[in-house]
Amino acid sequence: MPKAIGLITCNYTTTSKDDVFSGRPAASMPYLGRYRMVDFALSNMVNAGIRSVGMIMPYNYRSLIDHVGSGKEWNLDRKNGGLFIMPGSTLGVSRTGARFLIRDLVQNSEYLTKNHGKYVVLSSANFVATIDLKDLIKKHEESGANITVLTQKAKKSNVDVVKFNIEDGIVRSMSTGVKLGDDAFLDYAIIDRDLLIELIDIFSPNDHLDLFEALNPEFSRIRVHAVEFDGYVAPIFDKDTYYESNIDLLTQEVLEELAPEGAKIMTKAHDTPPAKYEPGAKVSHSLIASGDRIFGTVQGSVLGRNVTIEAGASVRDSVIMQGVVIGAGAQVENAIIDKNNVVPAGTELRGTDEHILYMRKN
Amino acid sequence: MLLAGGQGSRLGVLTSQVAKPAVSFGGKYRIIDFVLSNCANSGISSVGVLTQYRPYLLHEYLGSGEAWNLDERGGGVAILPPYATQTGGAWYAGTADAITQNIGYLEMQDPEYVLILSGDQLYRMDYEDMLATHKANNADLTVAVMPVEWEEASRFGIMNTREDGSIEEFEEKPAEPKSNLASMGIYIFNADLLIDTLKRDAEDPNSTHDFGGDIIPKLLAEGKRLYTYEFKSYWRDVGTVASFHEANMELLGTEPAFDLYAQEAPIMSNASTRPPAFIGPRGSVDDSLVNNGCTILGDVAHSVISADVYVGKNAVVKDSILFPGARVEEGAVVVNAIMAERSVVKAGARFGSADAETVTLGDDAVVSKGDE
Repeated sequence: MPKAIGLITCNYTTTSKDDVFSGRPAASMPYLGRYRMVDFALSNMVNAGIRSVGMIMPYNYRSLIDHVGSGKEWNLDRKNGGLFIMPGSTLGVSRTGARFLIRDLVQNSEYLTKNHGKYVVLSSANFVATIDLKDLIKKHEESGANITVLTQKAKKSNVDVVKFNIEDGIVRSMSTGVKLGDDAFLDYAIIDRDLLIELIDIFSPNDHLDLFEALNPEFSRIRVHAVEFDGYVAPIFDKDTYYESNIDLLTQEVLEELAPEGAKIMTKAHDTPPAKYEPGAKVSHSLIASGDRIFGTVQGSVLGRNVTIEAGASVRDSVIMQGVVIGAGAQVENAIIDKNNVVPAGTELRGTDEHILYMRKN
Repeated sequence: MLLAGGQGSRLGVLTSQVAKPAVSFGGKYRIIDFVLSNCANSGISSVGVLTQYRPYLLHEYLGSGEAWNLDERGGGVAILPPYATQTGGAWYAGTADAITQNIGYLEMQDPEYVLILSGDQLYRMDYEDMLATHKANNADLTVAVMPVEWEEASRFGIMNTREDGSIEEFEEKPAEPKSNLASMGIYIFNADLLIDTLKRDAEDPNSTHDFGGDIIPKLLAEGKRLYTYEFKSYWRDVGTVASFHEANMELLGTEPAFDLYAQEAPIMSNASTRPPAFIGPRGSVDDSLVNNGCTILGDVAHSVISADVYVGKNAVVKDSILFPGARVEEGAVVVNAIMAERSVVKAGARFGSADAETVTLGDDAVVSKGDE
């Protein structure tokens, strides 16, 4: 029997006021052309042999349910265990930034008591990375800690990411928001299942807190061991981090770190034909998903599924989500074009390096 | 009943390891996807797949039939390889014999009509429409036919028909054809008649147990109601390396002969989920199909590139078909070639030429510089 069960929280909002994440759960945000952000947490767990995964749903769960379905694509459609879709607190009761809200854990404690496994692997859906969780569980066992958290030195400031103060590999305190070089929490944690059940019971009177907030005064008693992750990770919380984390992947080494040969990042499969490059198409330094039809020019960009770039159109340094049509002769630069938009023929949409233009979901 | 046991020996190394229906096609598919998708899109929910030659890959690929929405309780995909009974077992000795040996499956499913299909043809057909024609004609057997060029007609099984589409005569590869309607090897039988005819055919020592050669002439002689169903759209039986190459190339261009993008009847496949294709800073792709999981650092033109293909820096791929996992290393040149799964053309090597016939490289085979 697998040693661990998984728990992915999807019921929270980010601090960012820009349009990219407003009104939609980060978990079902399209990423890297053909994935949704939650695919990484799900795949990491399944690839570590975990076969029971609970997902705490946001109130606007339609897109997420549509994506995960019965969990079949992640081998989670099982007679025993499998995928558990669990209700989250309603909008207004959930909290900005609280990604492991105690109320959501209390409300779904039955999932923790009824599924067996010595450990619970916790994750949110905002950190995109390929992580060997089997190895993390092993390190958790070796260290004898109560909780093991995965961290990395922050590469830039981020108001949504949790900061840990770490001494000798042990977490002493936490706060929200990181600056360059801080120890950033990657929202992956291993915790003994019995301890988690006990903790949420103790913390339940303060159920508006995040689990790690509630733990803050307890770090002297509860041993939280930090393990540093050395691979590529993208904390995606707003327009700029979303854009950068897509464009990052145009560096082959980064792409290979996130999606190494043979790695299985599982996602909902679609019956889209291979991408079709028409005579005269010019495509370089880009990621092109299946179902795309390209007549024009694409450079330095990431294209989602079923995108059409009409003749004479040019797309540079942009992220184009699924189903978008870029009309003939249109020019798109430094932009994020959200799902199913039609950019009319001849239109010019230009952002700059500093100000990425965003065309909202249609 | 889908006949998928053939080797397709004229495809050479492409079928040395896998059955013809399992050969990669169009950058994302295997040949059998087309017929399975037709079944699913036509509302057929029980498909028996008869396998024989090198079936492992085919069996694995078919799985539960889920990829084509054919994983249904009491139906779905049933894989039917030859099997043994108390009186021994035998290989499938002909198209009709393969069905005869699985009469048990037919009796278990107990359908009113049986559709016989070949797993190695490329076309998009609504079998529902063919069945409606069969019923409207009150036919015992309906044969799908398509008009071929008159000069080609003597290569096919030709149906000579009356005005109402009923079949008067069947001629296998006639020297002087009287009609240009070629049998596509797609039949709808009334189930009871099929089972009865197959049982009688099995006891006939002079029969070769073939639908075209034995069953159809027998039913014609018995005065049964045999009708044609005329099909005029794209249809290919990719029997040779040249026709296989051509059919792949027909997917390219702004107005391809076969449109993979037609939304109303999608071609489904059991594909793995791989990241989008990475086109490198100095890579280029023109007039081609490129599937997910590829890394293209060199130049690709007028080619069909399957998942997880690697084309290295300064490498050139032209007028070629690369199966999943094929590698063209740095500076290599591949022209007018078919590279099977995981085959490799090493750095600096040349494979194929525009002036010669299409060359093929088998699964896992390697061409190094100097081998050419």
